[in-house]
Amino acid sequence: MARKPKKSSTKKSSPRKPRRRKSGFAFPWWRLALVLVFLGLVYVAWLDFQVYRQFEGKRWALPAKVYARPLELHAGAELGPDAFARELSLLGYHLVPSLRQPGEVSRDGTRFHLWTRGFAFSDGDEPARQLRLRFSDQRLESVEALRGDDPVRLLRLEPLQIGAIHPARHEDRLLVRREEVPELLVNTLIAVEDRDFYRHHGISLRGIGRALWVNLRAGGVVQGGSTLTQQLVKNLFLSSERSLVRKANEAIMALLLERRYDKDEILEAYFNEVYLAQDGSRAIHGFGLASRHFFDRPLAELDAGQAALLVGMVKGPSYYDPLRQPERATRRRNLVLALMAEQGIIAPDRLKHLQASPIRVVPHRAQSSNRVPAFMDLVRQQLRRDYQEADLQSEGLRIFTTLDPQVQETLEQSLSRQLTRLERQRGLADKELQGAGVVTSVAGEVLAMVGDREPHAAGFNRALQARRPVGSLLKPAVFLSALEQPDRYHLATLLQDEPLRLEQPTGEPWEPQNYDKQFHGAVPLYQALVHSYNVATARLGLDLGIPAVITTLQRLGLDQQMRPFPSLVLGAVDLSPWKVTEMYQTFASGGFRVPLRAIREVVAVDGTPLQHYPLQVEAVVAPEPTYLLTVALQGVVREGTANGLAQWLHPRLKVAGKTGTTDDLRDSWFAGYSADHLGVIWIGRDDNQAMGLTGGNGAMQVWGDLFSRMSTRSLEPQPPEGIEWLWIDAATGLRSEEGCPGAVPLPFIRGSAPQELAPCARTPVPRPLQWLRELFQ
Amino acid sequence: MENSTSNLATRTLLPWLLTGLVLLSACTTMPRQQSAPVEDRGASSPHSVPQRLPEDQQVTISPLEREPVAPATPLASSAVVALLQNAEQQQRAGQYDSAAATLERALRIEPDNAHLWHELGKVRLGQRQWAQAEQMAQKSLRLASGDRLLGAANWRLIAAARRGSGDLAGSREAERQAGSLR
Repeated sequence: MARKPKKSSTKKSSPRKPRRRKSGFAFPWWRLALVLVFLGLVYVAWLDFQVYRQFEGKRWALPAKVYARPLELHAGAELGPDAFARELSLLGYHLVPSLRQPGEVSRDGTRFHLWTRGFAFSDGDEPARQLRLRFSDQRLESVEALRGDDPVRLLRLEPLQIGAIHPARHEDRLLVRREEVPELLVNTLIAVEDRDFYRHHGISLRGIGRALWVNLRAGGVVQGGSTLTQQLVKNLFLSSERSLVRKANEAIMALLLERRYDKDEILEAYFNEVYLAQDGSRAIHGFGLASRHFFDRPLAELDAGQAALLVGMVKGPSYYDPLRQPERATRRRNLVLALMAEQGIIAPDRLKHLQASPIRVVPHRAQSSNRVPAFMDLVRQQLRRDYQEADLQSEGLRIFTTLDPQVQETLEQSLSRQLTRLERQRGLADKELQGAGVVTSVAGEVLAMVGDREPHAAGFNRALQARRPVGSLLKPAVFLSALEQPDRYHLATLLQDEPLRLEQPTGEPWEPQNYDKQFHGAVPLYQALVHSYNVATARLGLDLGIPAVITTLQRLGLDQQMRPFPSLVLGAVDLSPWKVTEMYQTFASGGFRVPLRAIREVVAVDGTPLQHYPLQVEAVVAPEPTYLLTVALQGVVREGTANGLAQWLHPRLKVAGKTGTTDDLRDSWFAGYSADHLGVIWIGRDDNQAMGLTGGNGAMQVWGDLFSRMSTRSLEPQPPEGIEWLWIDAATGLRSEEGCPGAVPLPFIRGSAPQELAPCARTPVPRPLQWLRELFQ
Repeated sequence: MENSTSNLATRTLLPWLLTGLVLLSACTTMPRQQSAPVEDRGASSPHSVPQRLPEDQQVTISPLEREPVAPATPLASSAVVALLQNAEQQQRAGQYDSAAATLERALRIEPDNAHLWHELGKVRLGQRQWAQAEQMAQKSLRLASGDRLLGAANWRLIAAARRGSGDLAGSREAERQAGSLR
């Protein structure tokens, strides 16, 4: 291609040579004119190309949008009326006396009338509907259609947008299609900015004339003569400098645009392009997003006053900013309203009333992309495996995550409230403590994550990045290793909690102590876990062999290097709260390892699903030992180191959990689960100094606060086939009988229970063990 | 001076511009190809890495000695029934990805519903994800240990999954387990 012109130029130039000599002065002028015309044509063609290129296909770089899980509504859902109201308020539903349009809700105690907005999910549209909902205390009792008798079996609210992925400074917009823009807004815009829009071909002489006349009369520029098309061209293709050249370009391109595209296409582009506000580093473009930004409403729900305000702002978004310049904005809106009345867009008798009503805009919120920074870190981390950063910033992907905004909010509040309380109670300095937490569902979906006590502070994400020794949190892995060998161990196996001293491979002596600095002699295995006895656990670990414990940890999902030191069994390994969550997930999921997921699905801008992140499970622990471990971890809560949870939880809510405390009280951990949820909390200081909190009086308080306010089901594990419950004498670990004092029921893997009978002595049952009797019955 | 410049311009620039114009017009009329934004691993291909279940970790459930318990696993709430029906339709239509997503949605409502896990196992089988098909069936077995009917169905599912992965001995063993529950 590149050669051709050269060739042809030589060809053409040779015959011309003599002609040039002949013609002399006579012809250069028309030749010059020809060249100019031609250059002009080329220039126009180039502009046309620009217009075409920009306008066709993707016009704007769209940040990926990140959504929380949609709330599912169905009869029987565990959802209280207040939690429901909170969800609606997060979604920007408006509380009204009676429903008039989508996005509104009315409430009478535990009864709601709701007009949903609808949402296009990748697996089908959720239409906008009018519903009647009735709640009891903690449950959604019924969902019915407000009109007609259709029972509504199941529906989803639209998901809350929790963030976006974009460059530091960026334009943001919420694209709308032409048919989504209400005529009210279209007519208002045309009335104010370009009355001849449907008649001109890109530039309007009449408009220029009118503007000239108005400006002359006013003695200054009050009205521009630019058509909407010219404004669009200016915003899309040109700089904002004021020069004749630019003006000429603008006019040519406007004509070109009109030649190629119809009015609706141009209008649609205008509605999405126009700049309307600045929100920090984020520029608000388009009426769709501006409507959300200022009124927390989708475009279709705007009333006349709101439409007037937005259209008025086109002329000067910062000059007429309703947040900073409410009076100017009001005057401008009223001017637009008057114009609307004059043009018949609104009834003239409504004008006075509309002009008198104050402008109402929602106050500025924290930038939505930073609502949940810790969780967003996780989302980005999981996305980075499959997507390029550039695509995430520009392709308008929609990312549907697993975040539950209500659990997230509860976690944030529990953490910061308890840390403040603990600091006051213990005389610690303000903000001395830090913390992190993760909540997942038993199916492995990450529902909430906090990496800082200031939940909106982005930066060091302790949930993912802080690696701290886990202390007794590791013990369940040791006990599990034992319970997986039913020929050697069961819950009643007596362990020796007697002084122990040995050398670590490094040559250092190791002499584990119990937290109470006492030795407890021979204790049944489950009691050693329930009370977190270090020495008994250390002996058990040595008996099993450290490599065996490491194998178990790897099976539970820990992939890091662990040195086979005896101190490992007491938790001398550094893990992040995230890693601890992965490990406990297997316990909470009944022995199945479940990869934790923060993303459900990624959908392209046009709605086609790109990628589904499926639920996967893998059986890694047999059901029987899992069951024994869960019963023992329930004992931790009922009578052991976590019995303080009783002050938080409803007596009927049974949970399993484990405290963790490290040397000199530097780290305070709690990991626990119900039938539906797993929560892991860490508290400590960033400088890793002692803070004086155990797992029980630190992290567990946060966990208790959290789980007491979450809607979750009691953990009632069903014994698998190979389990039998038998009566055991608590003191000796020998077989006993029901009715014998001191006898407690314990679960055993069939055939593993002790055979020897204890004498039916007349010692009373220790009160704390009563829970086992309850569990048995 | 002017003269020669204009001549030069005509002679050298014109052809360039001409070609340029042709090029440009070619560009402008060329349909712009819209690039696919990201790699599509979704709809058609079964994409998960098959997970192996080590032999020694396989759960064996011995035949039940006790009398069969009438419908042991409670059937689901009406919301879950609606989703189950959807999933069945999608499965019949071969839309396995959608069926799986629908079943996962149901599992969020009733995580302990053994029927849902079983159905998800069937979807994985349809997707030829043998390992996950078996794992889902194992999960279902654990949740409905007293339900012989569902138990037998789960063992048959496991047998099919093992057959698919080429483990014929394992498949026969699973068939035997299924038979013992009848």
